[in-house]
Amino acid sequence: MAAITNSPNPVIKVEGLRHTYDGKNYALKGVSFDVRKGEVFGLLGKNGAGKSTLIKVLTTLIRASEGSVSILGMDPVQEGPKIRRKIGVVQQDETFDFTTVQGNFDIYGMLWGVPRAERARRRDELIKKFGLEDVRKKRSFDLSGGQKRRVQVAREMMHDVDVLFLDEPTVGLDVIMRRQLLDFVRQDVANGLTVVFTTHNLEEADYLCDRVAVIDSGRILAMDTVDNLKTLYRGKKTIEITVDSPTAETFYHRLGREFGAEATVKQGEGSALVLTDNPKEALASILNIARETGAQIEWLNVRKDTLEDVFIDSVSKQGTE
Amino acid sequence: MELPNLVRLVYRNIKVNTDYGTLIILIGLPAAYLVFFGFGFQSFASAGSPAHSYLAFLAPGVMAFQTVMAGTVGGSMLWADRRWGMLAQLLVGPFTRLQYLLGIMLTSVMFGLAGAAVMLVGAYLLIGSISIGFLGGLTIIAAILVGSIFFGSLMLLISALVKSNNAYNSIQVLIIFVVNFASTVFYPLSSGLPIELRALFVINPLTYIANIVRDGYAGTLVAGDAYQMVGLIVVTVVFLFLAVRSYMRSGVSFS
Repeated sequence: MAAITNSPNPVIKVEGLRHTYDGKNYALKGVSFDVRKGEVFGLLGKNGAGKSTLIKVLTTLIRASEGSVSILGMDPVQEGPKIRRKIGVVQQDETFDFTTVQGNFDIYGMLWGVPRAERARRRDELIKKFGLEDVRKKRSFDLSGGQKRRVQVAREMMHDVDVLFLDEPTVGLDVIMRRQLLDFVRQDVANGLTVVFTTHNLEEADYLCDRVAVIDSGRILAMDTVDNLKTLYRGKKTIEITVDSPTAETFYHRLGREFGAEATVKQGEGSALVLTDNPKEALASILNIARETGAQIEWLNVRKDTLEDVFIDSVSKQGTE
Repeated sequence: MELPNLVRLVYRNIKVNTDYGTLIILIGLPAAYLVFFGFGFQSFASAGSPAHSYLAFLAPGVMAFQTVMAGTVGGSMLWADRRWGMLAQLLVGPFTRLQYLLGIMLTSVMFGLAGAAVMLVGAYLLIGSISIGFLGGLTIIAAILVGSIFFGSLMLLISALVKSNNAYNSIQVLIIFVVNFASTVFYPLSSGLPIELRALFVINPLTYIANIVRDGYAGTLVAGDAYQMVGLIVVTVVFLFLAVRSYMRSGVSFS
């Protein structure tokens, strides 16, 4: 899909980005996109798609092998420290100093050169806003997963941030915590913050992002606003199936053979998704396969268009090319 | 006025590493050596030669030993920052990789000097009187400074190369033990020692740090101390270079 690279005054501009760690295999294979001011831009892809490599390049942690990148009008290679003053990064993993929640806020503000009085004001404000008052004296490592994530996101607001990078910030959180965290980010977006958000959770991207790039095997497969992507792929339906029987494996295998690249079996979760233009016909085939293999259908659902359909469709197409 | 990056990194390192546990290990272990070994072996030394105080011999040795403890602080800081993700977090902050490394080095030096000062106060309390001249004081500070950088570099080198926490801890304990006891911190290099042990003494930089600090402490500085200092500086520069190179080349630095 053609990349959108002609936005006026983009905050981030990426052109023809390629990156290899070993000189042979490319984790990024020619990625181009723009991010506009005040936009939430989602990078949506499964594990190993290249999202984290892209984030590392954008946050100046690694230098791309080929292509050009501009962050806030600056070159990451030449002006890394200047860029890093203006960005916030919430890493995929926990990152804390071995001290209390309050101490983490204080140290972080000090490291970014926030004056002492301003630091205390921001710290108290953020602790209140992110609902961390009860745990402010607790050591960060003793917090629950959700609290830790809130600290990590809130901590980035201790200094002036123009662009916030969130690298799968909701991994390991329950649904409520996830939604809370995304709502906190949304509030700051309303105040003009630009956000680059990576996730493999489609609902989150749907909820938070203005535009989404579907990335797989180091390539952007689809990129547009969430609504446009849904419109583009309208007409497709996703059938979700879960079976529970000793013959489940045979069932999923037959399903794969019948629907080819249009079927995605989620190995770990014991379920499958089938993307189809004709749900009636597909349902009949699925029931037929279940009967023949002796599989007991535990759950079956025909979904209307979601971002997940777009994701599955674009990744499936890529797989058949 | 905004503080320079390096000062902010050092402040952060000190703040994060001055919990009670770290301080007890840093100060408590050498202080325990001073008290237990000092009083324990005092009787032997007095029995042989009443004119010599073992405590007065041991005090500058334990001050020199602080350079090893300072080095372990540096290595542990890098290791902890890797382990707890703060290295990656700091490197997406307004700092360069080199500033991060220098921050650790400078923190090690400060811990070394502060630890030596605490040992000096401890020695004063135990012995009763200490008189260190201006030149002796400067020499001690220089030796502790260079020694802290040497052991900081050594530990950074190890923490940049070693992949597991257990391996790092084991190597660190082994190094502390060997470096500590195969040096002139606790006893002089005597011709009565087995030749292998003497060789260990000779190649151990802590021997030279202890010798210089001891002569500065006792006001018996000789030309040999200057040569020892030059040798120490050369070895330190080599190890510092190796540590920086390993750090920059390893995944540690994300370069």
